[in-house]
Amino acid sequence: MRISDLIARVLTERRGTVWSVVIVLVAACLTVLITRMALDSDIINMLPGKFSSVQGLKVYNSDFEQTRELTFALVCHPEDADKLEEFAPGFAEVLRNQPWCERVLAGSPMETPEGVHDLQSMALPLLLNLDSPVFTHALEVLQPAKMRERLHHLHEQIAAGSPRPQFELEFDPLGLIAPAMKPFAEGNAIQEDQPLTSPDRTMRVFLVVTNQQSASAFDSQKLMRQANEFRARPLQGWEGGPLQVLITGRSAYVSDISLSMRYDVVATLLGSMLLVGAIFFVGFQRWLPLLGMGFALLLACLVGLAIGLLIFGRLNMATIGFSSILVGLGVDFAILIFGRYQQARGDGESHRDAIATSVAKLGRAVFFGALTTAVGFLALVLSGSLGFTQLGVLIAIGILFAGLFMCTILFLFVRERQTVMRHDWLFGLVKRYVCWSVQRPKPVLIFSTLLLVGLCAIGFSPLFALPFDASARSLEPKNSQASQALAAIMHKMPTRWEPVLAILRAHDPQQLHDQWRKIADHWAELQRAGKIKGFSTPAALALSPAIMQSNRAQLSGLDFAGVRSALDQSLEAEGFSRESFKPAFALLTDLESMRDPAVPMPHWRDHLPKTSSWWFLIDRYFARDPLLTSGFVTSNAPIATHASYESLSQQLPVAEVPVVFSGWSYSLANLLPWSQHQLILISALMAIFDAVLLALLYRDWRLWVIQEITLIFAVGAMLASMKLLHIPLNLLNVLAFRLVLAIGVDYGIYIILIWQKAHDLEHDVAGVVKPVFLAGLTAVSGFGSLGLAHNPSLSGLGIACAIGIFWSLVATLFFTLPAAALTEPKTWRQA
Amino acid sequence: MYKTAPVPLRLIIRSLTYGVLAFTSLFVSAALSAEPLTPLDLKGLLGHIREKRNAAPNVQADFHEEKVIRLMNKPIVSSGKIWFQAPSKFRREVAGSSSSVMVSDGQQLWIYYPNFKSAEHYSLGKHSPVDAAMAAINTALNLENVEGTFHITGAKAPHGYDLELLPRGPSMKRLFQSFHLHINDDLLAERTEMLQPNGDRIVTSYSNQTRASIPASLFQFIPPVGTDVSTPLGK
Repeated sequence: MRISDLIARVLTERRGTVWSVVIVLVAACLTVLITRMALDSDIINMLPGKFSSVQGLKVYNSDFEQTRELTFALVCHPEDADKLEEFAPGFAEVLRNQPWCERVLAGSPMETPEGVHDLQSMALPLLLNLDSPVFTHALEVLQPAKMRERLHHLHEQIAAGSPRPQFELEFDPLGLIAPAMKPFAEGNAIQEDQPLTSPDRTMRVFLVVTNQQSASAFDSQKLMRQANEFRARPLQGWEGGPLQVLITGRSAYVSDISLSMRYDVVATLLGSMLLVGAIFFVGFQRWLPLLGMGFALLLACLVGLAIGLLIFGRLNMATIGFSSILVGLGVDFAILIFGRYQQARGDGESHRDAIATSVAKLGRAVFFGALTTAVGFLALVLSGSLGFTQLGVLIAIGILFAGLFMCTILFLFVRERQTVMRHDWLFGLVKRYVCWSVQRPKPVLIFSTLLLVGLCAIGFSPLFALPFDASARSLEPKNSQASQALAAIMHKMPTRWEPVLAILRAHDPQQLHDQWRKIADHWAELQRAGKIKGFSTPAALALSPAIMQSNRAQLSGLDFAGVRSALDQSLEAEGFSRESFKPAFALLTDLESMRDPAVPMPHWRDHLPKTSSWWFLIDRYFARDPLLTSGFVTSNAPIATHASYESLSQQLPVAEVPVVFSGWSYSLANLLPWSQHQLILISALMAIFDAVLLALLYRDWRLWVIQEITLIFAVGAMLASMKLLHIPLNLLNVLAFRLVLAIGVDYGIYIILIWQKAHDLEHDVAGVVKPVFLAGLTAVSGFGSLGLAHNPSLSGLGIACAIGIFWSLVATLFFTLPAAALTEPKTWRQA
Repeated sequence: MYKTAPVPLRLIIRSLTYGVLAFTSLFVSAALSAEPLTPLDLKGLLGHIREKRNAAPNVQADFHEEKVIRLMNKPIVSSGKIWFQAPSKFRREVAGSSSSVMVSDGQQLWIYYPNFKSAEHYSLGKHSPVDAAMAAINTALNLENVEGTFHITGAKAPHGYDLELLPRGPSMKRLFQSFHLHINDDLLAERTEMLQPNGDRIVTSYSNQTRASIPASLFQFIPPVGTDVSTPLGK
């Protein structure tokens, strides 16, 4: 017994058994979903993980404190700039009092007494961490003669009216804090370019560290609910015009993305189901098979999702597009199979025989169609992107099951006794076109060839460039408030660009110090040579146990009693208030205590209050693991090309220091060749696979050539459309090309296979062209509905695929069919 | 300096505020005679001062200054001569063993110490906090929209008028706590007293005030060759 007969027999005679199997399958899948469902909303996982720059981004996003940081911005009208300045401190205080807020930075810490005091409290360990010659030189200020000379000089300057000695004495009365802080200040020059007030004073930025428990989507949503409630409250004390409160940051992004996922799932799936259902109904005017098709597709989705969860454990947000893509693809099989079934019933066959006929006639085409599509999507594994790998695998599994279910379960929803369609206007139109194009193929062929060749000329021509958007914005969700807030802040703030991120993990504090020193020295050379604009490192904060020990030894030779006495005498002689120099005496006492080897070596972490604003700066350098650190390099210009990436990647590294260079701009510039590789090489591999498969399938070189030209036309027209419609390529929608190849080839398979075996043109060919036409429309609708998604990678991929599949359909109907008719005209005439 | 040794910007601003307030206060003169001054009188007085300023934008005088600062046990006393041209040009020369010259053309501020052959240079008009402070103070003492920034009260004194300016907003309050001004019957400033939030106080007395024209070159400064120039707030 043939398989098709067996399927028909089971479906008609053992319906109860088949339903039982379906119920068990659904139950098993739901169990997996309920017990294993876990989603990953990290956009970085959409990028290929094999690149160290991408890995660096992941590390910085997960291990550094900035994951808990939110940026607030107040924006007012220009006439209210003064009021905003007055209002800002109060707003910062209100922020500080929020239960979800741990620290707030509202301005330079140096402009507050607390900030200055906190910095002074870090002085001792940083002083001991100075290079020994520098430390020796710094201690010279404690020599009685030098001390007297310094204080006399400062006294003279005060008398002369200079403001400088006053602040010098208030900040550093002994003259040791400034040299201790010098490396720290030098290493943080880059931070000075990032003020918290816009030049026109209409925007004030506040950095907030929250007490968010984890970076998960749910915790981010919880935090943002609280932050948005705070934002919605009336601003107490504001007396000006409209005042906008913007919020951005990683948590804001994660919250926006995860919430948009819900919308994306509903909008794309419903959109896809609605469009596909409408097209199916227009084509066949049947409700029950439409329901069966929907059920079979949902079951395929369910099975794919369950197996995907079992394989990966956690699914990326990209997989939310899986359902709509699968609906768009799987419906092809339903349309073809059901179309053939209906045709057989129209020929007078029984229900069982019609099932057997449809499976026998189109089962092979469905199998190869599912196989090519599955392989096309499985090729996403080569992308190296976890998100797209998961998407590819899920769709590959889903499409194979969809093919199986359409040849089986679909018929559970087809009534044995059904009325024949009275007037199939669509079939009538298709039949007329097929007759005309097959009887007189030349006019159609010439017209379609000219059109498609013209489009290919545009598509493949280097004269019309297809823009390639490699910016981080191309990956950001549409309509995200966090994204809009960031854009507004970047617009208002002085022109600057994202620095290169350098991540260094050391084994111990000494290694951390030594390696950052090497890096800082090297980057300082690059800066002097004009190869980079600036840099900042945690070198000054990376304490060296060896240097501190050596400097501690130097202290034993110092006569602290003499120093105190000299300080007292100098103060007396110059008329300075001893009370004002208390911090100087305190620092002397601390230094003296360091002579005792039993006293533990001081660390700035122990001296800096937890509420200090300086932590905002420190947290940029140090992860939760203090041996995991980062530095920053500002390039001379924004990193927008692979050449600038290459230049920096060659210049910045230091021999024998394992630094990972990263940052969004740097990583995206690094990924540009990968993206082109995806576009060209892997698409070419797909084309080769298709070519071999088609050669085996057709065993006719002329039909094979026609099919290959069809695919070239489809890709060329797709490129031309994207150029003409100004749809840029980005790092993710380049994957669409291989999908178009995988899906587009199916239409050719259906047409050419049936053409080869056709005996009755009207019956066989027109009977397949109609389902192919409907299948093409449903696939375009399925992918097009992804355009509704807020997730840009999904919507971009969906739109690119919809365009490509549209042109595949056009090329198949208006080129493949007449070309096949011209190549093998006898087949039809003999019919 | 800023990059090599972080310093409290607030203190620089505060210190500069002293000087600027002292110079610009010379412009304040009075024309009404009531005790105390009603809001209406005060408005008239401020209007009259603006007229005076517009009619004769230059003023010069000798000064004697006494600074009481927390750092020192005794007040620091200095004297010299000042020149001012509305709205923001000034020159201040301190005589004696600790001599100095402070010059601003409205865009640059120079402080030169001949004894040390050193100079400090501050750029104005770059949205720095120093710039904001100087602009606010100039606005106040040129009496442009001054009522919006300060609470002003005044009274008739035995010989002239006493005015008190109290800053309204927190940013001004960070710079100084109060500013008292005494003007004589000839409508010229005689004495100013400024109190800072940290308790530091500066009292300046003026004499030999005139409204004679001042050559523009007086508000320009080029450091002499060999001068060590520093930029405490960076370039």
